[in-house]
Amino acid sequence: MAVKNGNFLIHEENFITDFPEQTRAFSSYNPLDTFELPKGVDKHYQQQYADMYFLRLAQLKAAVEQKAQDAWENFELAGEKATRVERVLDVRQGELCWVVGTIFMEMTMKPNILDDISKEHWIAAPPVREKYISPNGKDEMMLEDESGRLRVTGDHVASNAFVTGCIIAALGTETADGAFEIIATQHADFPRQPQRWERDEEALVLAGEKVKRKRPKAEKIAIVSGLEIGADDEDTINRDILLEWLEGAAAGGAEQARASRITRLIIAGDSVANSSPIPSREEFAEAKKIQKRYGYDSEAYDAIPADLLDQFLCDLLPSIPITILPGASDPASVAIPQQPIHPAMFPKCRESTKPPDQPHDHLYAFDSVTNPWQGDVDGWRLLGTGGQTVTDVQKYIEHESSLDIMEAMLRWRCIAPTAPDTLWCYPFQDDDPLLVRDCPHVYFAGNQPKAGTKVVAGPAGQRVTLIAVPKFRDSGKVVLLDMETLGVDFIQIAPQKIRS
Amino acid sequence: MDKYKDYLVANVLIDGKIITYRLLSRELKVHVNLAKQMLFDFHDKQNAKKPGTVHATYLITGTKRPGPSQHSNGIHSQDGEDSIMQSSPYMSSMPEQEEVTDVAEEVVPVTSIILCRQEELEETKAQLEEMTSIHVYSLEPGPLQNMNLISLCNQEIVKKFAHQDPMDNWKAYGTIHNPHVKRRATRRPPPIASEATTAPKSIAQTSSTVQPKEKDDVTAQTARGSQLAVAAKKTDAKATFKREKSDIFKSFAKANAKPKAKEAEKSKEYTPAIESAEQSAHEDEPMKDVSEDEYEEDYTPEVEISKEKNDAARKARAEREEKLRKMMDDDDDDDDDNDDVPMDDAPIAEEPKDAPIERQPQKAAESASVTVSGGRRRGKRRVTKKKTVRDEEGYLVTKEEAVWESFSEDEPEPKKLKTVAPTISTAKGKKGAKQGQGQGNIMSFFSKK
Repeated sequence: MAVKNGNFLIHEENFITDFPEQTRAFSSYNPLDTFELPKGVDKHYQQQYADMYFLRLAQLKAAVEQKAQDAWENFELAGEKATRVERVLDVRQGELCWVVGTIFMEMTMKPNILDDISKEHWIAAPPVREKYISPNGKDEMMLEDESGRLRVTGDHVASNAFVTGCIIAALGTETADGAFEIIATQHADFPRQPQRWERDEEALVLAGEKVKRKRPKAEKIAIVSGLEIGADDEDTINRDILLEWLEGAAAGGAEQARASRITRLIIAGDSVANSSPIPSREEFAEAKKIQKRYGYDSEAYDAIPADLLDQFLCDLLPSIPITILPGASDPASVAIPQQPIHPAMFPKCRESTKPPDQPHDHLYAFDSVTNPWQGDVDGWRLLGTGGQTVTDVQKYIEHESSLDIMEAMLRWRCIAPTAPDTLWCYPFQDDDPLLVRDCPHVYFAGNQPKAGTKVVAGPAGQRVTLIAVPKFRDSGKVVLLDMETLGVDFIQIAPQKIRS
Repeated sequence: MDKYKDYLVANVLIDGKIITYRLLSRELKVHVNLAKQMLFDFHDKQNAKKPGTVHATYLITGTKRPGPSQHSNGIHSQDGEDSIMQSSPYMSSMPEQEEVTDVAEEVVPVTSIILCRQEELEETKAQLEEMTSIHVYSLEPGPLQNMNLISLCNQEIVKKFAHQDPMDNWKAYGTIHNPHVKRRATRRPPPIASEATTAPKSIAQTSSTVQPKEKDDVTAQTARGSQLAVAAKKTDAKATFKREKSDIFKSFAKANAKPKAKEAEKSKEYTPAIESAEQSAHEDEPMKDVSEDEYEEDYTPEVEISKEKNDAARKARAEREEKLRKMMDDDDDDDDDNDDVPMDDAPIAEEPKDAPIERQPQKAAESASVTVSGGRRRGKRRVTKKKTVRDEEGYLVTKEEAVWESFSEDEPEPKKLKTVAPTISTAKGKKGAKQGQGQGNIMSFFSKK
C-alpha cells in the first residue's frame, strides 16, 4: 500500500526535517443571539406556560391556514365541499371541514407533574423514560386551540407521527362518538430561507461599505458532540487523538493539511458527563445513600471533568476557534433555551474569550453560546441544538430516525414542540424564539444515537442539510461540513481492539 | 540530533515510561513530525539490537474497506469489533439495519483514525482500502493492555508545559497556526505552583546576595537570568538524584530503574530565577472579567489591542513564567540549594529573624502598633475572618469581617501564607506541605498508603 508523504516510518539517515508551516483557514463567523434570555432581574419565572401555546398558535396560524387553503380549497368528498372552521369547538358532527389547532398527546406513560407531587416532594428530575408510548395503545391525541379540545382519530393519525405542541391544520369530520376523524393534515412547512451572505451583506450596506463581490472559497467546519468528559468508562485516548488531529499534530501529510482546512470546531452539547445542576432521579437516590459530609465533598461535586474540558479547549484554542453549546449533562441552565456555559467554567480559555464589553467582536476564538443556537458561518445560516429536543420527540413516537424528526420539526416551524410539555423550557411571554423564523441552511442536532445526514427540500426551493451528530464517546465520530458545498463527511477515531 | 536516543533510552528502557511523539516533541523542542520519525527509528534499531525491548503503537489514517467490516463502524466501533464481526450477522438491538434501508440518507465517506498496537498493525492495515498516513504514536517497554494509559503523556505535557505560550512555539512543534484570532492580554496560569506571588522581599534579598549590583536594574534582569543559567549548568554535573517517586510506569519496567534521565531533566530546569517573583507580584493585576459575575457593565478595559503590544506582553509573560517555573522546580527539592549555590548559605542563615515580618500576608493582615520587647514582637494586626450568621429569614449568611487580632512572634504563621522563599529555614517544613497542595499527582494514588 502506497502512502505518500503521510508515512513517518523513516530511519535516521532519511529523516525529513523540513515541514511546511501550517496555517489555519479562516471562516466568517457571525452568530445570532436569538436564544439569549434576559439577564438577572429581567428573567421571570412567574408566567404561565399556557401563553406559550397561545403564542405559538397565534404566530403560526396564518401560515398553516394559508397552506391548508391552497391544498383543500376545492376539496370535495362524496359531493361535499370542505369548509373552514374558525375554532375547534365550532366543528359540527357530520360536516366535512378543516380546522387549525395545536396537537396535544395524552399518553399514560408521559411524566405528569401532578403524579410526581402526589408521590413525593419533587426534588429530583422525573425518571427518564425511553418512550412515552403506552404499550396497550391507550394513547389519545387531541387538537386544541384557545376555545377547547377535540379528540382526534383516524388512520392518518396512526400512520403519521405527531407530538404535543405542533401546529397543524386537520381535515375531517366529527363522528358519532364525538371524535374528529382526520383524513389529511397540513403544516406550515419551511419558512423563508435567507440568501447566503444575506446578513453579512446587509450589515455592510448599513455600514455604508461596498458589498464584497468576491469572497474566498470557504473551507470546512467540524462538529462534535457528547465528549462526556469524566464518564466512567471514557476512552481518554480518543479525546487526545481528537485534540492532536485538530491541532495538526497527529497523522501526516495530506491529513495534516486537511486538518488545517477546518476553520472552526462546534461542540454540540454534553461535553461533560453528569454535571447538570439538577441531578437525575438515579443520581439523587445515589447521593442520598452517601452520608453527608460537611465542607468540600469530592463525591458530591467533582471538579475534575470540568477542569479537563477547560484544558482540552485551552489546548485547542490557539489553533482553532471553538463554539460550544451546552447540552443536557453540562453545567449550564437546564431549561430550553439553555444559556451559555458560564465563562467562569473556563478559566484557562480566558485569553480567547471575548471581553464582556465587546459582545460583537467575533474574532476571539472562544464562544460559549446558547442551546439551541443559530448563527452565520461563511454566510450560511446554521441552526444547532444539543439534541434534547430531538431526543424528547423521539419518546413520543415509535420508530423515527433523528433526521426525520429534525425534518418534521422544521416543517412544523418549531424546533422544540414538546417544550414545555415534557421538556423543561423558559416560560416565554411575548415571543417564542423556538419558532423557526428563517429557514436555516444547516440544521444539526448533537448527541444522537446514530450519525447521519440528508438534504431536504422545501416548497419554495429551500434546501436544508440535516445532520445528526453522534456522541463522540460512543462512536468516535466527528462531522466535517464543507462550507462551500454543504457536503458532509465523517472522521472516526477508534483504537483497534486489543486481542488478549 | 542524537538527543532523542538518550532521552528514549532513559525514559522508555530504563524508566519504563510511555512516550508519545507529542511528548517527545515538547521535551526536545522539535517538530512533531520529526518526533514521529525518531520514535520509529529508535524502535526499529533498538529491536534490531535486542528484540522485544521496545513496543510501539501506531496511528493510521485511511478509509476502511466497504462491506461487512464497515457495517460495524457505527455505534459499536468503540469496541473496535470490526474484525470479529465480519462473518457473524449483526444481532444488536440497535436499529443498525436502517443504514442500508434508508434511501434518503446519504452515504457519508468516513475517514478512520486508528490507534493500534504493533501486534494488530498488519490486521488493521488489511482493513483499510486506502491508507493516507502512518506513524508511530508512542513507545513503551511492553504491550499495552489499556490504550488509555497513553493519555498520561498528554497529562504530563499539560503539567510540564502549561506555562509555554502556544503563540510562541507553534512553529517549533508544527501546530497549525491561526493568525486570524484575537487574544486578550491576560496572564497565563503559572504551571503548577500558583502560590507564587507572596514573599517577594525575602527572595529579593537572596537575589541581592547573589548579584547585588543589579538589584534594581530592570533591563539587566534577563541578562542576569541567563548568567545564572550558565552558572547552574556548570553545577549540573554534580547534582545528584534525589527525587524518586513511586511511578506507575515502574510496574511496566523490566529492569531496575536507574534515574539518570530524570536527573538530567531536573538540573536542566534549575535556574534561580528570583526576580521574577518580585516582578509578578507587581503585575498580578486583578482579572477583570466576566467570570466575576454575570456580565458587568461598568468595567471598561483597554479596547485597543495592538499586535505589538500583544507580542511584547506575551514575551514578557513567557519570560517571567519560565523563570517562575524554574524557581518552583528548584524550590521543591531544597537539597539542590545546598549543592548548587553555596554562596547562598551565609546570608540566609541570619535571615529568619526578620523574615516572618516581611512574609506576613499582605492582603489579609496589616499590622499596627508593633512592639518589640526582648527580641519578641507583639502587636495587633488586622485579619479577615469569615463569620456565618442566621438572618431573620432563616438563611445562613457568610460575611467577611476585618477583625483585629493580637499576635506575638512565636505564634505560628498564618496558614494561608504560602511562602516560596527558598530559605533553608522554611524549606524543610515545607516539603511535607508542598505535596498536599497544587494538583494531585496521579502517581500518589497508586502509592502505598
